[in-house]
Amino acid sequence: MSRSTARTGRFAAALSIAAWISVAAPARADAPIVALYQGTTIRFAHVATGGGGLAIGVNDPGFQALLHGTGAWVTWKPGERYILITTSVPAVVSFAMGERRYDVGPITLEASFAPFERGKEAYLPFNEVLRALDLVLRQDGQIKVIQPQLAALDVRQEEGRVTLRAHGGAPLHPRIVRQSPNAITYAFDGIGTTLGGTRQVGAGGVRSIAISSSGSARNPSTFVTVTLEPGTAPQPPQSTGTNEVVLAFGGGAQPGRAEQTFAEDSPSPEPAPTSTGTSGPAIVTGVTTAPASDGVAVTIAISGDASYEWHRLRDPDNRFWVDVKNAQLQGAPIEQNLMTPLVSMRVRAIDPSTVRIALTLDGQKPVTLTPSDAGLIVNVGVEDVGDVPRSGTGSVGSVVAAGEQNAAPVTPAPLDTSGEDYSSPEDTTWKFGPHSQYVPTNPRLIVIDPGHGGSDRGTIHGGVSEADLTLDMAKRLRDLLIARGWQVKLTREADVDVYAPNDSAHDELQARVDVANKAGARVFVSIHANAFINSGPYGTTTYISKPDDVALARIVERQLAADGTKDDGVVKSHLYVTYHTRMPAVLVETAFLSNPSDYALLTSAAWRQKVAQEIADAIGEYARQYPVPNQPAQ
Amino acid sequence: MRSRRRPVRTASRVPILWVAVIVLGVATWFYYTHRAPVSGESIAVYYTKLDGTSLGAARVSLRPRAADESTAEHLHNTVFYAAVQAVAGPPNGIKAIRFPPATRVLGVGIDGSTATVDLSKDVEQQAGGTFGENGEFKALVYTLTGIRGIDAVQVTIDGARVQTLPGGHLELDEPLHRSDW
Repeated sequence: MSRSTARTGRFAAALSIAAWISVAAPARADAPIVALYQGTTIRFAHVATGGGGLAIGVNDPGFQALLHGTGAWVTWKPGERYILITTSVPAVVSFAMGERRYDVGPITLEASFAPFERGKEAYLPFNEVLRALDLVLRQDGQIKVIQPQLAALDVRQEEGRVTLRAHGGAPLHPRIVRQSPNAITYAFDGIGTTLGGTRQVGAGGVRSIAISSSGSARNPSTFVTVTLEPGTAPQPPQSTGTNEVVLAFGGGAQPGRAEQTFAEDSPSPEPAPTSTGTSGPAIVTGVTTAPASDGVAVTIAISGDASYEWHRLRDPDNRFWVDVKNAQLQGAPIEQNLMTPLVSMRVRAIDPSTVRIALTLDGQKPVTLTPSDAGLIVNVGVEDVGDVPRSGTGSVGSVVAAGEQNAAPVTPAPLDTSGEDYSSPEDTTWKFGPHSQYVPTNPRLIVIDPGHGGSDRGTIHGGVSEADLTLDMAKRLRDLLIARGWQVKLTREADVDVYAPNDSAHDELQARVDVANKAGARVFVSIHANAFINSGPYGTTTYISKPDDVALARIVERQLAADGTKDDGVVKSHLYVTYHTRMPAVLVETAFLSNPSDYALLTSAAWRQKVAQEIADAIGEYARQYPVPNQPAQ
Repeated sequence: MRSRRRPVRTASRVPILWVAVIVLGVATWFYYTHRAPVSGESIAVYYTKLDGTSLGAARVSLRPRAADESTAEHLHNTVFYAAVQAVAGPPNGIKAIRFPPATRVLGVGIDGSTATVDLSKDVEQQAGGTFGENGEFKALVYTLTGIRGIDAVQVTIDGARVQTLPGGHLELDEPLHRSDW
């Protein structure tokens, strides 16, 4: 090899190494960063630069303090690929080691550089993490400021009122700074925003919403002005989460359906349409997507009357489009890539009087169209379905508000194939092991289990404990059954632990199971009162675990269906007492102590007597329908 | 004669090598900065609706398996990712039964086709009824058993196996399966 060739080879190798280093080399350590967040100085010591931006170590005490301040936390261990931040939304912000792409909930984004591991610590792109937490790093003179942002303002119609659900990077405390019969302005002190401009709503008594901001990086303020129809009253702001508040408006003159979203990537605001009369063209004022309970909802906000026609192609060409006729598009055409069950969305005017909203679906997904006086909602489900309708037509606007029927066929509502609904008594989809062929040694004995008791009070609401209620109902049931000739054994006769004071939940439950199994009872009935973290859920549920429980449960459920609260049916679950008892068993959650109307029922002696009566009737009916061999029917 | 020609041929190669190196460098830079994103998988994260029984699902994307990631590591990483998503639950706007707010996934393990999910003690902060407990664990089990290779879920709390939650109703000392619901 000649000297020049050798030199060239060495140079090429050096260049390659340099190129590799510039791309893949880990970032270098950097000086700590000090920044103000919500008036507190935070020092970020585990920082690095050089990988394409500022990186923050997940174990950094300052970073941990910042996460704590926003109600978020990070989950990662050395060697794990994913670095996951659960935010207060809640949403999971997921980074993967060595991958620039990252996800914020269902949205995939690309970071300026990939996370990397150094010294058993994961380093994340700091600016992207801040953005996911609805924060922005700003410079205020010589001082760095982590400024919370008003990141989203969702407009919805809920239960006859319009709500603005605001979410930000810090607790939101809106303050009314200006109010008149036609408008109200809220100030969010300490909160900045990149949202801005005016959005027309035109539904539910809310005409429009304008967002502006002022102040310095350290002391920002964001103002939200809501213009109202006469007679629309603002309701007090309500905090609904760590960093979320709902502004509600009711009593509007023009009830309708609104669903728009201000988001950081919203297009620039456009002037309001000048004519929305029925004689002029309708205006497509916005098209937004949002997660729905069973997929994605595409909301097409339309001001004025219009007709529409939709089509979809056959799998595997899963394109769907809807043409809104006699309509114009307000603002620029939209072209977005989306997450499953959608792939992309395009919105454009295909001629002077037709706006086309074209969706590419991620498979043969169910599509449901819901027209209203405020536009059209296209719901796209998650699970693939079989053959589906290919086209249809309909109308939006005043004809819908007036109750006029859409004669056009629409895709039937998607089946909830993602999960099972066991509420139907005819349901036969339960998967059980073999029947036990249980034969009671004491076929005239019923074991009743008053849930909880002693050191375990169960759920407590308004000073009323579940343990006391269940014992009361159990005793009432016992008296009724004894009067009808049954033998009855209660797992507890008083407010005591069945196994031992302060025993474990397992020992306690096993002791109750033992009472029934050792006695060879005909059936086992455990009585409870339900509860949840909020007051919404209510109703009676009958839980089971084994095949032998089904017949008894269906009769009990049928009897309790008329107990005055909602019948939530028979639910299969792996509950300890129903699973381990050898005889047919049910656990009846009679009603919710956490729900005001159910609470009123549970605290009524007459209602508890009624429940006891219905369970007693059910046991009698069960005994008649399923007599024990060689035993007289009860 | 040959010895005279050699320097001429070597000299003529130098610019070619220079060009090749530059092209290689530019191509490397271009690849790393402009490469098209690789399509990843997605998984269904289930949540139990407020009727207490039926399930909804939201899909979240998953990074493609990395070149240096073994099959076992990929399964472990997927289970970890899915467990954190399931415990976080769907976005606030979706009405669902949710784990107590501060509940964290402390770690996951795989033993055969059983995934072990270690939850923080915050999960014990239940409202007290069967409703929440049943809905939370049903969603977790459905999410993880939706991953190919997993058919059961063993729950531990702060690293320890528990028989039930305090004052709870659901049996947790055995792996849970979809067929439990």
